[in-house]
Amino acid sequence: MKCVILAAGEGNRMHPLTYTRPKVMLPIAGKPILEWNLLNARAAGLKEFMFVVSYKSEMVREYFDNGNPWNVKINYVNQGKAMGTAHAIGTVEPFVNDCIVLCGDTIFGTNDIKQIAKKGTKIGLVEVDNPTEYGIVELKKKDVVKIYEKMEHPSSNVINAGIYHFNKHIFDSIRKTEKSSRGEFEITDSINILVNKEPMEGVFLKEWRDVVYPWHLLDANEERLKKMKTKIQGTVEKNVTMKGIVVVGKDTVIRSGSYIEGPVFIGNNSKIGPNCYFRPHTTIGNNCHVGNACEIKNSIVMDHSNIPHLNYVGDSIIGNNCNLGAGTTVANLRLDKNNIIVTLNGKKIDSKRRKLGMVMGDNVQTGINSAINVGTMIGNNVFIGPGAVVKGEITPKTTIL
Amino acid sequence: MCGIIGYAGFRDARTVLLESLKRLDYRGYDSAGIAIIDNKLKVYKEVGEIANVEKKIPLLKGTIGVGHTRWATHGGVTKENAHPHVSCDKTIAIVHNGIIENYSKLKEELIKKGHKFTSQTDSEVIVHLIDDAYKGNLEDAVAAAVKKIQGSYSIVAVSEKEPEKIVGIRKESPLVIGVGDSENFFASDITAFLKYTNRVIFLNDGELCVITKNSINIVDKNRKPIKKKEEHITWDVKDAEKSGFAHFMLKEIYEQPDTINQALRGRISEIEETIVFPERVEKLLNNEISTIHIVACGTSYYAGLVSKYLIEQLTNIPVFVEFASEYRYFGVRNESSLIIAITQSGETADTLAALREAQMSGCKTLVVTNVIGSTATRISDGYILQQSGPEIGVAATKTFTSQIIVLFLIALKLALHQKTLGPNELYNYILHLRELPRNVRDILERSDDIIAIAKHLKDAKSVFFIGRGINYPLSLEGALKLKEISYIHAEGFAAGELKHGPFALLTKNTPVVAIVTQDETYEKILSNIGEIKARGSTVIAIAEEKDTEIEKHADFVLRFLASSHVLPCISITVVLQLLAYHVALLRKCPIDKPRNLAKSVTVE
Repeated sequence: MKCVILAAGEGNRMHPLTYTRPKVMLPIAGKPILEWNLLNARAAGLKEFMFVVSYKSEMVREYFDNGNPWNVKINYVNQGKAMGTAHAIGTVEPFVNDCIVLCGDTIFGTNDIKQIAKKGTKIGLVEVDNPTEYGIVELKKKDVVKIYEKMEHPSSNVINAGIYHFNKHIFDSIRKTEKSSRGEFEITDSINILVNKEPMEGVFLKEWRDVVYPWHLLDANEERLKKMKTKIQGTVEKNVTMKGIVVVGKDTVIRSGSYIEGPVFIGNNSKIGPNCYFRPHTTIGNNCHVGNACEIKNSIVMDHSNIPHLNYVGDSIIGNNCNLGAGTTVANLRLDKNNIIVTLNGKKIDSKRRKLGMVMGDNVQTGINSAINVGTMIGNNVFIGPGAVVKGEITPKTTIL
Repeated sequence: MCGIIGYAGFRDARTVLLESLKRLDYRGYDSAGIAIIDNKLKVYKEVGEIANVEKKIPLLKGTIGVGHTRWATHGGVTKENAHPHVSCDKTIAIVHNGIIENYSKLKEELIKKGHKFTSQTDSEVIVHLIDDAYKGNLEDAVAAAVKKIQGSYSIVAVSEKEPEKIVGIRKESPLVIGVGDSENFFASDITAFLKYTNRVIFLNDGELCVITKNSINIVDKNRKPIKKKEEHITWDVKDAEKSGFAHFMLKEIYEQPDTINQALRGRISEIEETIVFPERVEKLLNNEISTIHIVACGTSYYAGLVSKYLIEQLTNIPVFVEFASEYRYFGVRNESSLIIAITQSGETADTLAALREAQMSGCKTLVVTNVIGSTATRISDGYILQQSGPEIGVAATKTFTSQIIVLFLIALKLALHQKTLGPNELYNYILHLRELPRNVRDILERSDDIIAIAKHLKDAKSVFFIGRGINYPLSLEGALKLKEISYIHAEGFAAGELKHGPFALLTKNTPVVAIVTQDETYEKILSNIGEIKARGSTVIAIAEEKDTEIEKHADFVLRFLASSHVLPCISITVVLQLLAYHVALLRKCPIDKPRNLAKSVTVE
């Protein structure tokens, strides 16, 4: 059975990180979201994959190629014009029969994928506390009666998780699907057409992590890190303290005096320390440098980025190829301890987090002693001058002095 | 310039072709059509926007086909003249971009063989040639057909007898291959298929390629298979319409080596040693002409001023260049004078009014325009097309140089008729014209020098442009370009006139751009530069590559290759365009859409 992974999305709500990469390539605990799904699906016995790509597809293709390194077979199809989930699934019609379809930007567990792969048309379901943002699924015993698009007053808290088991009939339903009020062809509408003719079984998932806004990556990262096992491949010098789960990649050096409270993941070929302090739920990518007197807490730092001297980074995400000037510090808690409100794509959003630092796109440089306020979204290729105070949303390629 | 697309894959070809054509409509938009193989070859074409065709096409199952969006150069804007063109038995369809120079001869031969033509286009001969050579293999037939063709082309062909494949070939017109997953594309421009794939293969002149949904096979001129590297395009769709250039204006500046060729194409007969124009135009030019009045507005007016020098130099006909808005009320009308109206859009209201006035008083009228079927082409006695393709940047660039080329060809034709030019001299001019694209390319390659100098102009309150002779209208054009896109006050002056007034405005904060050519005024302009330097102003000279003297006089020198004394004005214009562009870029101006300006002024 083929496994179709929808990986075409641009992920506007993941700005500034998705200005330079597709959403499925966002890293969590050292691997892109898409790779976690690939690994879990492979563990569930799936070997043939069809990636539906579009936005910055070359990055997906470059990373996964034909799937040989994972011992799986990967084929690609370009969605072309993005016209909704039904359209995306419709593009694979010539290539699949019975298949699993899953949204590449949500992480699904191995056992759940196994359940979905069992015989018959199925849909993955989860119960959530706040279902207003999702499609609500109405069930009769085990079978789907109808899926409702985002409701203001949800009739239940059972939602569509974004993983399906389809047979060929879904394509007939897709052809009959009309544009939704959002102006897209939605797979939920196609399913509503399908369930009039044949039953679709709802399967409750045990594991499910969807990421919508950048700060959700921190939750997903934490969840993944907690499941890892300590593994040290690089060099750890004397007088390094490590507590809990710590993963250190190949050719990475942890210098003397560093204090690491796991779970912490550090990639390959990075230079850590001396005398730095890692607090739990931190992921550092490959070829990074974290230097003297730096403290990093609950953060994701992507590849080729430096946090070299006298920095504090808390509850933050730093993209590829960034460099913080000496003394650049990030605030991650409001003095009044209220929830942090973020401006993203010009809109104010309650992050529902009391602690949130910054989200920094790729190729950003900061000057010495620059200060970055809570919930700051910094676009890619931004240049921040020495002593600058940065807050709000910074558009890509701007200079702040 | 037209847009072409070919698709072989798994998607509904109708949707893909229409979508791609919409992305190509900047290359032409007067008519459009598609052909899809849905068991049989099915062709749909209409005049007007692509949406007009879309309405006419039923839902089809075909997943292979070709499409075309047209910018007419041969034959008017009619449904018959729209592409795709089909063979007599309606099994082969082609789309073509380019100009077939020997089409009339080929057409005669093909008609003798019994082929039936349904359009007035040059392109239709291609499909009949292919049909004629077809023996069961489409690529063999295409290869045989292009051997007989003179001119420029990118051609994409399909045949219902071989419903899996599309054949594409190019020479001096663009054609790229889009490499997809279980699908492949041909297009004149990456924009067309960028939504579906960003992996491309660029074809060189003479290379022929056969695509199916799962294969791409390229052969060279000698039909030897070649392997070509795939390249990844990282621009997004918005940038792609500009082919990766930051602005349409810059893209259009860079198109000039091609548009100069296009303006010449089909008009020089080296065998018969003459210049060829459509019959009606020949008639106009062969008349006894006492004087020529050129009427135009804006940049076209400056093209007129430049050609005044060219025509007067080659013939003994006096030329008067007048603003259309003035001529229509105050112009002298004489039945024996030829009125040449220059209007890129063919719709400039003032120029149209001037044309009508001229005709009412019995003058013969000739129009130089870029748009076939425009009002100007309909109300005049004859017209010549610039063949430069649509221009989107409001500031005219490629259409200005094409206008000069066309007017220079008119000058040559008049000189031949007046016998002020012999065949040997003509041959020399032709050789030099053929070198122009190379000279322009040379300037484009060295644009870094211009970027460096733009920094010295960006903060100026006012900039002077000076030149003598033909360089005087060029300084007017240089000043116009700078003011319209960078909003810096700029004036062009005849260098000798500076002393008679404008000198009073000169301060050390007024940079002066001086156009210097090594002609009879060379010494004079050097002394003008000296006078300016004495007032402390910065002088930026635009001078010939081999002129070493100028460095002693000017603060900065921008170079152009003058391989001959013919038309250095084209190279100089390109330098002026790039200078204005880079100053505007540094000043962060909205280059493609300057404030208060519109592309074609259709009000008086």
